Amino acid sequence: MTKEVTLTIDGKEVTVSAGSLVVDAAKKAGIDIPTFCYHPKMEPVGMCRMCLVEIGRPAIDRATGEAVMEDGEPKINWGWKLETSCTNPVSEGMVVKTATEKAKQGQNGMLEFLLTSHPLDCPVCDKGGECLLQDLTLAHGPDKSRFIFDEKHHAQKHVPLGDAIWLDRERCIQCGLCVRFQSEIAGEPVLDFDFRGRKTEIVTTSEPGFDSVFSGNTTDICPVGALTTKQFRFGARPWELDATASICAECPVGCNTVLNTRREAKSGGKIVVKRVMPRQNEQVNETWICDKGRFADLNADNRLLEPSPAEWTDAIGAAAEKLSAAKGDAVYLVDGSLANEELYNIKSLADEVGAKALCYSEVGGGELTTKVGMKGDMGKMGAESAILVAGVDLYTAAPIWWLRVKQAADRGATLIVATQEANRLDAFATVIRYKAGGAVKALDSKEIKEAFSKAENTVIFYGNEGMDLKASQKLAKACADMLPKKEGLIGVWADANTQGAWEMGFEPVEDLAKVLKGKTVYVAGQDALVAAAVEVADIIVAQTAQATEASEKASVTLASRIVAEMDGTFTSAERRVQRFFPAVPPRGDALPGYVITAQVAEKMGVTLDMEAEDLFSAFSDLSYADLAEVNAEESLSIAGTCYENKQGLGAQLPVAVPTN
Amino acid sequence: MLVELLRGLKTTFKMMLDKPVTIQYPEVKRPVRPRYKGRHELKRYDNGLEKCIGCSLCAAACPADAIFVEASENTDEERYSPGDRYASTYEINFLRCIYCGYCEDACPTEAIVLEHEYDMSYTNRFDAIFPKDKLIVPVPSNGKATPQKTEPGLFDRSVPEMKDPQD
Amino acid sequence: MKYMLLRHRDVPNINQIDIYQKNGGFDALKKAIKMKTDDVTNEVKEAGLRGRGGAGFPAGVKWSFMDNNNWPHYVVANADESEPGTFKDREIMESNPFQFLEGIAICSYAVGANAAYIYLRGEFWEVAHFLDEKIEEMEKAGFLGDKIQGTDYSLKIYTHLGAGAYICGEETAMLESMEGKRGQPRVRPPFPPSQGLYNKPTVVNNVETLTSVPYIINNGAKEYRKFGTDKSPGTKIFSLSGNVNKPGNYELPLGTTFRELIFEHGGGIPNGNTIKAIMPAGASSSMVVANDEALDTPMDYESVPNVGGDLGSASVIVVDDSISLDWLINKTVSFFEHESCGKCTPCREGAYWMKQLTSRIHNGEGTQDDVELLKSVATQIRGTTLCALGEFSTMAVVSSIERFPEDFEAKV
Repeated sequence: MTKEVTLTIDGKEVTVSAGSLVVDAAKKAGIDIPTFCYHPKMEPVGMCRMCLVEIGRPAIDRATGEAVMEDGEPKINWGWKLETSCTNPVSEGMVVKTATEKAKQGQNGMLEFLLTSHPLDCPVCDKGGECLLQDLTLAHGPDKSRFIFDEKHHAQKHVPLGDAIWLDRERCIQCGLCVRFQSEIAGEPVLDFDFRGRKTEIVTTSEPGFDSVFSGNTTDICPVGALTTKQFRFGARPWELDATASICAECPVGCNTVLNTRREAKSGGKIVVKRVMPRQNEQVNETWICDKGRFADLNADNRLLEPSPAEWTDAIGAAAEKLSAAKGDAVYLVDGSLANEELYNIKSLADEVGAKALCYSEVGGGELTTKVGMKGDMGKMGAESAILVAGVDLYTAAPIWWLRVKQAADRGATLIVATQEANRLDAFATVIRYKAGGAVKALDSKEIKEAFSKAENTVIFYGNEGMDLKASQKLAKACADMLPKKEGLIGVWADANTQGAWEMGFEPVEDLAKVLKGKTVYVAGQDALVAAAVEVADIIVAQTAQATEASEKASVTLASRIVAEMDGTFTSAERRVQRFFPAVPPRGDALPGYVITAQVAEKMGVTLDMEAEDLFSAFSDLSYADLAEVNAEESLSIAGTCYENKQGLGAQLPVAVPTN
Repeated sequence: MLVELLRGLKTTFKMMLDKPVTIQYPEVKRPVRPRYKGRHELKRYDNGLEKCIGCSLCAAACPADAIFVEASENTDEERYSPGDRYASTYEINFLRCIYCGYCEDACPTEAIVLEHEYDMSYTNRFDAIFPKDKLIVPVPSNGKATPQKTEPGLFDRSVPEMKDPQD
Repeated sequence: MKYMLLRHRDVPNINQIDIYQKNGGFDALKKAIKMKTDDVTNEVKEAGLRGRGGAGFPAGVKWSFMDNNNWPHYVVANADESEPGTFKDREIMESNPFQFLEGIAICSYAVGANAAYIYLRGEFWEVAHFLDEKIEEMEKAGFLGDKIQGTDYSLKIYTHLGAGAYICGEETAMLESMEGKRGQPRVRPPFPPSQGLYNKPTVVNNVETLTSVPYIINNGAKEYRKFGTDKSPGTKIFSLSGNVNKPGNYELPLGTTFRELIFEHGGGIPNGNTIKAIMPAGASSSMVVANDEALDTPMDYESVPNVGGDLGSASVIVVDDSISLDWLINKTVSFFEHESCGKCTPCREGAYWMKQLTSRIHNGEGTQDDVELLKSVATQIRGTTLCALGEFSTMAVVSSIERFPEDFEAKV
């Protein structure tokens, strides 16, 4: 039971847990104290002095230790100067005044000081419209400048800090959020201050510059337009963008994102995705996304605009004919880029005709992760957890999990990294290095056994570093056997929804050439898979989104939609089902994959079961309504805009899954 | 009887003899006042560079959502405006526009100005959307056409120097 | 009077260890390490020794605040001496170093520290080198190192050089600098006696404060209190500079008047000019009007505020009527603007703004509005900064405009 403290802010009494900061207590009471350098996920520094308030504490008699009373009320000792609310923890009986003449003068004064050196860039600055300095100046700042324009301090504008991020040194208000994010949260201190006084500026200390996969997050937290992304430079004004909730499809973490879209003249008037921003989900990605997801190009040009044959009725007819002819001998092949709904239909169809349903993945062990998969909140892992990362470089394969694991280690979790090559997690962990082929043997280690026996919560991430499918399957088995509680196994797949395929009951395929030779194949997924099928199989019905050499060689091509154009769900590798929504209109005649499969099935005379429980009972407790629930209390509100999650936090599948 | 008739027709006969106020438009056009709000024009500086920096404030201010702006980066090889940013796409839909002049008030560089042309006609909705090349003024005599090739370092300021609007 | 701190003026070559020992050197240390640590602290507390670096906080009280649940403890001697007008610590370290080192040793013993550091400003590399030699001599003589003088107590003293920043004289910025980070002040609380160097309890004291300790231990608190006043006991080194005939360091009991310091010891104002203002705390001072009341004010921590100033580190800068104060505050503001660490907004931006204004006013390009603006900006900085540098940068400005308006009217 944490200790509670009651204090009065602007006349309102509020009770918070001991150790909270005054600025958080004020937010709970509905009072917004303006801040720049404060961030709830980082240590407070009190640098910007924007949150100045008057704080009074009850006078305590030194001799007796009792509160001194005055007129029946405790006597309050007011500080002689204003104090920063972000660095002061609450204390019992504290009285805070945020809106008195003195406090207001302090807050307005700070803004005036910041504006003396801030350039007049609002019309050309990308941050305009979502800029904290703009918002606070309107609320608290002066309307006229007393500073002579010609005496403004000048600094370099558009300095590239690495490939993705541009720095404008004149706009920087030296709040230190970017430096602190990189050192405290990302653990990669590649940014720092240089010089002192008015000449203080941000520099990057890594070569190549800003060498961090989390660099894009600094542009979110920068309160002004000093750090901006090269990709979105001059893209659009924030108020011109529409926002749609989506899930990142680059890796199996399943970060919650927001796709900002707008009509674009360059694309001939089409509505395109202009940028990707994070959405808050404390259990998956907090408020961060990695650069892979942020800078992914979701407006790929080489789209399949119509099926082949050109009319849908013809195409569906041709597909149905070919698949009916093959019956149970056909092979239904997918990869993890498809949504759960698409996978479900394909599996149902395969089951009905008695054909093989396979999912291509170079990482094995899918059938194990459905049985002993992840349970619980990665954000809460701490001293009671033991985490093993075996045979995978999390930093490149699933960066946000790298971050989560590193943060867990910071909080006291035991972290063991067993990989062939050195990687960026080594610095935070106990390292076990093995030579090629020695993964499973390396796991038979005293350290791991000890750590796992002591820990309450155990999690294992595994991959296929330097291994083929068979070897990674063996690794998965070894990992699964090590888990004392039969839960906590996470396979770091290459695609976003490979876990969903395993949950549906798809089987892995080791040798594509062998399995597909001479067969009729219904292949649905990315171009690489279609290309593989086209190489070996006899008749190929390809359900794909891209128009490539491979798709042209297919017998029947069914043009499908991409994630940004569709409704659907993904199951992340920690078995969390999350919903994404269509952000842009479909291109050409493309149809959603599940519609295509349903029509093909119907033409084949197969009625697909629409009840998930018949196929897969783990999903049966879920509903789309469940996935849309949001816990409003937890949401952050820093510069308001991009983090708010109104579309749902998803739900984690239960671990003990009765198999069919 | 006749007197009453004539008295009633007095105004009519007077008007018959008066000069008509009708102006023979389009051969004769009535002059408009200096602040008349007609069709917009995108202005240039004397050296030929465009004043518009693609900031979209006019689009934000427009109560009828008539303006569409897309911005792009200037380079020294291909420079359209002083500073970093210029409007690569600038369209005004004159069927939506209500000629209120808010865009002119919002513009930080005095680029968009409502001039005096009012006699526009179009036969379909698509033609009513004027793109940038129909809105931009011609290059002044001592200026060069855009895009220009300029010296690096000359046009560094993000938002160009503004003279006092009181002038 | 016999010198307590600047003993080299009585005993030449006291910076050589044998001469120091012959003249009662290390007696205090020998006595202290046989006392209980709490007794040592109490003796210093009773003596009422106040911090000589400028804040005037009672040293014994600071030592008693050390958190005894958090170990190890450290002692850091603040030899950063960057305040314009202050040059007392340098003389101590160059001419009477052993008394200083002895003071550090006694303080370390009292708070239980086995490692002590001397943080010197970057420009004092020669002084640091000299102190390193003296420390080595002291170790050889058995007064530093393992098991000093046959007791269980061990102490090593290290010198550490800064890199040329005034802000590193601020205690938490100094600790940050020693830890290898940027020298910027920390948020306080917590204060160094509970969380200091590497987050361990640390005593940070000025050179002069520590140099006063051996006398107290040798002769007792009562003897020490015979000098100075009741609330400000002991002697202080006054660094006199500016428009005086004999600038330099003068060790005098606290409570000596300005008049005595400036006219008796300092030889008065040269060139027949009249004294106009006094800056008692170096560049961080308010401008005290040098009227009779001020001149007759005793120089101690209680009385100087009565005439609108602060004793601070007692770096008395004398200003005569040949100086126009717009020139002077242009100089002090330029100093603070250059030395501001840049961490907090008001000092970083405000000092820059004030510099533009003072520079314009001094060049004759300012108006009366600019003078008012300058005062307003300085007032806006007050009470909002992270550390005292920002606060002090405004002292001279506001007090000059308020008390000597004619100097500014003449310029606009």
